[in-house]
Amino acid sequence: MTVPLEKVGEEMILNMGPQHPATHGVLRLVLQLEGEVVKRIVPMIGYLHRGIEKLCEERTYIQNLVLTDRLDYTAAMSNNLSYALAVERLCGIEVPERAQVIRVIMAELSRIAAHLLWIGTYALDIGAITPFFYCFREREKVLDMFEMISGQRITPSYICIGGVRKDITPEFLEALKSFTDTFETYILDYEALLTKNPIWLSRTRDVAVLSREEAINWGTTGPVLRASGVQFDFRKATPYCGYENYEFEIPYGTNGDCYDRYRVRMEELRQSNRIIKQAMANLPDGPILADVPYVVMPDKSDVLTDIEALIKHFKIASGAFQIPKGEVYSSIENPKGELGFYIVSDGSSRPYRMRIKSSCFVNLSTLPVMVEGRHMVADVVAAVGSIDIVLGEVDR
Amino acid sequence: MVVTINGRQFEVEQGQTILDVARANDIYIPTLCYLEKVSPIGSCGLCVVEVEGQSEPVQACSTYVEDGMVIITDSPSLFETRRKVLERILERHPLDCPVCDKAGECRLQDLVYEFGLEGRIADHRVGIPRLQEPPVTYSTPGIKYYPSRCVLCQRCVHVCMEHVGRGVLVVNEEGDKARIEPLYADNCISCGECLAVCPVGALTENVSPLKARPWQKKVVRTVCPYCGVGCVLELNVARNKVVKVTVDDTIPPNHGTLCVKGRFGFEFINSEERLKKPLLRKNGEFQEVSWEEALDFVADKLSSIKSEAGSDAIAGLASAKCTNEDNYVFQKFMRAVIGTNNVDHCARL
Repeated sequence: MTVPLEKVGEEMILNMGPQHPATHGVLRLVLQLEGEVVKRIVPMIGYLHRGIEKLCEERTYIQNLVLTDRLDYTAAMSNNLSYALAVERLCGIEVPERAQVIRVIMAELSRIAAHLLWIGTYALDIGAITPFFYCFREREKVLDMFEMISGQRITPSYICIGGVRKDITPEFLEALKSFTDTFETYILDYEALLTKNPIWLSRTRDVAVLSREEAINWGTTGPVLRASGVQFDFRKATPYCGYENYEFEIPYGTNGDCYDRYRVRMEELRQSNRIIKQAMANLPDGPILADVPYVVMPDKSDVLTDIEALIKHFKIASGAFQIPKGEVYSSIENPKGELGFYIVSDGSSRPYRMRIKSSCFVNLSTLPVMVEGRHMVADVVAAVGSIDIVLGEVDR
Repeated sequence: MVVTINGRQFEVEQGQTILDVARANDIYIPTLCYLEKVSPIGSCGLCVVEVEGQSEPVQACSTYVEDGMVIITDSPSLFETRRKVLERILERHPLDCPVCDKAGECRLQDLVYEFGLEGRIADHRVGIPRLQEPPVTYSTPGIKYYPSRCVLCQRCVHVCMEHVGRGVLVVNEEGDKARIEPLYADNCISCGECLAVCPVGALTENVSPLKARPWQKKVVRTVCPYCGVGCVLELNVARNKVVKVTVDDTIPPNHGTLCVKGRFGFEFINSEERLKKPLLRKNGEFQEVSWEEALDFVADKLSSIKSEAGSDAIAGLASAKCTNEDNYVFQKFMRAVIGTNNVDHCARL
């Protein structure tokens, strides 16, 4: 293992991770300590590198969908959405309205699931065990709903090129309704546990501050950027999936510290809930898959009974389709920030090059700015947690 | 002569069909039964085009061009006509692509995908068509025939009659029961030409248990090892084993035709019984030995026979399956080193 830092005098070099529970996966932080003060910090990444970008060049556009689930695996639905939007833009596919609304519901549900996971584990990291159980109670409900429609909890691959895999069921809508109706009160529960908790305040207030300028210069996105006072959200800036039709606010902070990041995410839970309610109220009828038989997979029940569907399924699954030549960049507001796909197509059924823009990677790179020279070792845990990284997306 | 196709004018010659002209100028007309090496079959009706002055669409493959013809190859009504043709074929086509040998390189699949047929068109009141009938006996054991997959394009019938000249196959019965039958099975020479031209999986090869999908195969062009004609073959290789032999229509000397040996005689390549190491008979039994030992033994014996009984006491028998270069070196060895003209090879036996 290489150590990028050198010990000077009484200083100490400390490896935090890659098996440290507070690094949320396999991140290794190399710390140069003077006493307890962190002089320098170097995030060493790559322990979860699976070569997804390269793998994508060898597999068809249809097969690549399941790889996107494995980026930020706390919000797989959003990853599916970003990838599907990129390929759809490349092919010029218009997604039916009902599918768009379902996509919005799924994206916001996965935002809620991801933020709940963050709040629970972040509180756990800095010493509060109770919120973890409350957050996971609700996260479980979201995952159950995912399972209800896609059969999968973590890696649904539900949002696919051309729309969504299956239509949502009345049972799902019922579960969703009871969830959204009660979720606001649960948010109050979490806030009662944390927002005015003096220990919480002393662990997060004025810790790991990222100024507005620094946040912009380092190219951060998502809650990290918004906590530093920039009111920027891809859902408002470049609306996709009809987000321009929903009423919601972009929460933002003022200090750019861990506490503000917490507040921003808490508020985003409310806004997401608000969006889902609007989507449910205006759920149109109609098809859930675009009528593009060249790249959009037919429904599985048709495949088993209908020769045309079977042939199309065979052709598409075996990679006989062609995607128009060209390149495209498309990004969405993931729970963690901007998730973008840059795809170059050479006209075949496999991408010539696929580049994934990861917000986790960019946001993680601000860790030295937040911590170096200002904080002690214990605050590194608070800082890393507050960025909300998922190594699946950092390393790709 | 000048004809107009889709608004563009082309200089044409007497005796060309509309399809010939279109193909020569990169104008796409979908076809299913059309086969270049036989006379137009005209059984599928997919290649229909509109000709000005004609009330009904005509078949491009069998209509000869005339001076001043105005032709349209694509229009909504033509699309509808072609679609109906495909629908008629698909009505009774079994849902067995996943187990069909041809899937992936099937002309019918290509056409359905190309036309983007949407929704259910087949009449399923009689149930979903499945591959139920047991394979019908065919004129040669090298081929299996599945009547339910057959699209009755009659490519096989025509190629057997016109190209191979045996006339084994006929279309028997009518309607739903219509199928290809080897009525004159005694005439069959098992050349497999009918198998090669089948656009779907109705005629499937019944020799090798090894199969592979087209995207798993690597195609290697080589020369047939059997006789002196030297037909060009394309070996389809998957997982380092030959799974099928195909031929390119354009290459001499065989121009896409093969005999039973070239088409079906490839299994020896992967045979377990092939010798991989030299064997030497010791105490009445063959034993595997090293090349060095084997060569030393042969050299010893050959030189002792030559010195005792003269060069002509030795004869050499080479194999037609060896390459030209190998056989050349062998006869050179026999003549120059051993000193005899007793050289022959198996194809004369």
